[in-house]
Order: sequence, then C-alpha cells, then structure tokens
Amino acid sequence: MANKRILVKRRKSVRNIRKITRTMQLIATARFQAALARATAGRPYTEKLAELVESLSGASGPIDHPLMHASEDATRSAMVVMTSDRGLCGGYNAGVLRAAIHQVDSSAGSGVETDVTMIGRKGVGYFRFLGRPLADSITGIGDRARFEDVEPLANSLMQRFIDGEIASVHVAYVRFHSAGRQTPEVMQLLPLTSEATESTEAKSSTAVEFEFSPEPEELLNELLPATVRIRLFQCLTDAIVSEQIARMTAMKAATDAAGDMIKSLTQRYNRARQTQITMELLDIVGGANALA
Amino acid sequence: MAKTDTFQCTVITPERKVLECESTFAAFPAHDGEMGVLRQRAPLVCKLGIGILRVEGDGEKHELLVDGGFAQVVGNCLTILTEASKEARDVDVDATNQALVEARAMKITDDASSAARNNAIRRAQVQLKFAK
Repeated sequence: MANKRILVKRRKSVRNIRKITRTMQLIATARFQAALARATAGRPYTEKLAELVESLSGASGPIDHPLMHASEDATRSAMVVMTSDRGLCGGYNAGVLRAAIHQVDSSAGSGVETDVTMIGRKGVGYFRFLGRPLADSITGIGDRARFEDVEPLANSLMQRFIDGEIASVHVAYVRFHSAGRQTPEVMQLLPLTSEATESTEAKSSTAVEFEFSPEPEELLNELLPATVRIRLFQCLTDAIVSEQIARMTAMKAATDAAGDMIKSLTQRYNRARQTQITMELLDIVGGANALA
Repeated sequence: MAKTDTFQCTVITPERKVLECESTFAAFPAHDGEMGVLRQRAPLVCKLGIGILRVEGDGEKHELLVDGGFAQVVGNCLTILTEASKEARDVDVDATNQALVEARAMKITDDASSAARNNAIRRAQVQLKFAK
C-alpha cells in the first residue's frame, strides 16, 4: 500500500533531521560553555576599572568629562546593533532587531536620525530586506569576541560624540542575565551615565590615599574612554553567550518536536499496516467462504 | 607560608587574566618612564605607556609587552590593566617592520601629527626590541 511506504519515508527523514538538530544542540551547548567562560574571564577587568574610576572620583571630586555631556545641536545619533552571523537560533535576532528598530523609529519621530552600525550577517540581511540604510557593518566575528573587534568602533564613536556630530550612542543587544534569562535591550553607551561610573559605591568607606601619576583629571581622560570600550566589548560577549543559549533552546525544541513527530508517524504507520492486514485477511476469508 | 618579601601581581586584559603570581619585584612601563615596585609600596594609580613589564618571583621571570592601560598598587597587590598585552613569541616581526616603515613615512604637519608619528615609531621599535 502506497500510504504505508510514504509514512516510512517521512519517518526516516524526520529521524535524520532529529539527528542533525540534536548534534547542533550539543555543539551549541559546548560553545555556550566556552563563551560563558570567556565572558566571566573578562569580568575582573571591568570590576577593577570601575574601582579605579571610583578611587579617582573620590580624589578629584565629582567627575566631569566631555563624554558625559551630549552636544545640544547634534541632529544625529548612533546605534550599534548586535545580531548573529548564523541563523537557527529561534527568536534571537528578531528580538534585538525589533528593539533596535523601535528605538530608531522613536528617535526619528523626534527629529533625530540614527546611524546604525550592524554587527552580524543576519541583521545586515534584514535591514537590506527592509530597505533601511546602514552606516557600517561588521561581520564574521564568530563566537569568539576579540577586543580588537570593537575597539576601533568604540574609538570612532567616541570621537564623533566629542566632536558634537552625534548626540548619543545606543547599543541594542541581548543581555545575558542568567542561563535561564536573556532579554533584548537597548543600552545607552554615550553620554556616560553616572551609574556607569559609580557602580561600586559601597567601597568608598574604605578609601585609600592613592598616589596619582599623572594628575587624577588626566587619568580620568584615559579611564573613561577605556570604560566605554570595555562596556561595548562586554555587550558583545554578552550577546555571543545569549546567542548560543538561544540556539541551544531552539535546537532542543526542534529535537523534541521531531521526537513527537516520529511517535505520531509510527502510530499512523502501525495503524495503516494493521488495516492492510485486516483487509487482506477479510479478502482471504471472503474468498474461502465463496469456494466452500 | 607567609613570605616577607613578596606581593601579589596580576595582569588583566578585557579578555582574560594573563598573569597572576607572587612576585618579589616588578617593573612596569609608566607613561613617563619605567617604574619598579617592591613589597609595601605606597598605594598608587598610574597610567601606562608602551613597554615591557617585567615580573620576578619564585625564581621565575615573566616578560610581557603592554601597550597603554593602568597600574594600581594597593595593599601589596599590583594590578596591571591593559587592553593589549603580548608575549615575545606573539610579536609579528614582519608586520611590525612594515608598521615601522609606514610610521617613518608619516608626514608631519603640526604637533599632533608629530606626536602620532613618534608614538607609532616607538610602538614599532619597542615591539621589535622585545621580539629579539
């Protein structure tokens, strides 16, 4: 019976797909662990930098720096959007792009045009599909973020910000809260907010008298750009960890769905087989009765 | 276990902890010249220039190239924060030679470009010296 053969064929192909998705799930799991290890390896740097800014602001009073003030006559702003290079990661890219486009449109509504820098092939493709312009794009970062990948971008954004060309810089990325929770977010990178520079306020009670070389003000001129660079870098490492989790979840769901499908196909196949046997038996019995 | 002449030395980049050890002496390239650190150094925050960081301790010697960043000394802990650190074997000699040639070819028009040229030349020279 033709129906039976089709069912066998479909079950076979679903089984093959399940094999593939399961493998991809395993790969994503391994990559997630590696990415998470790298993300945590970068944390001491951020903490130490915040501590330095803290001790400096303790020495020189309230911090005041060009990176903290938006130029008032700038009519443009900039945004960095972090998407993945590859697909098959569920709603990961859709979430970031939705958040990014929402932000771009709402600032366009108030008369501020946004230059979008896109990281990741998927986002580039989507913006091309929508016919939206991209100021710049970076692809091929893969799942190992290097500091050199974001450093030039951060430097040029800061330069344009200080020159008064752009009023703000935002980053749209998927923030990694925990292995169970990641949310697409739009974070303000520039102007620097005070919470970025005062993240560890509890420590000021144990203030140490530091010797500064050069003067605190001059050190701040170096420290704040370093803070901006590291924040952008951290967004990227976060995004990469989240991407692997998203892929892991998507592939697990695909594997489970394939399993369910195999079950129902097997059931249908068995039923079809049984029906056929019954019919053949009826035929034989009918034939024998006719002869008798 | 407590030794009387050592201090903790840590080198951190945005990507990872490069070095963490007990050391007896460390010299790092500050923005205005090399600076040495022994145990019980007074608390310090210092900007780094480009140069070679040397750490000695436990009969071992570590040498790393650092390019900008910050050093902090507090309570017998030296922490070096740098965005770029390299070991001698990581220096690409050919690329650096090329960079040196380009740096020498840079045109000087004002103070800023002169400083940029000097920086670029110095950066290449320090790397080459370190690689040898």
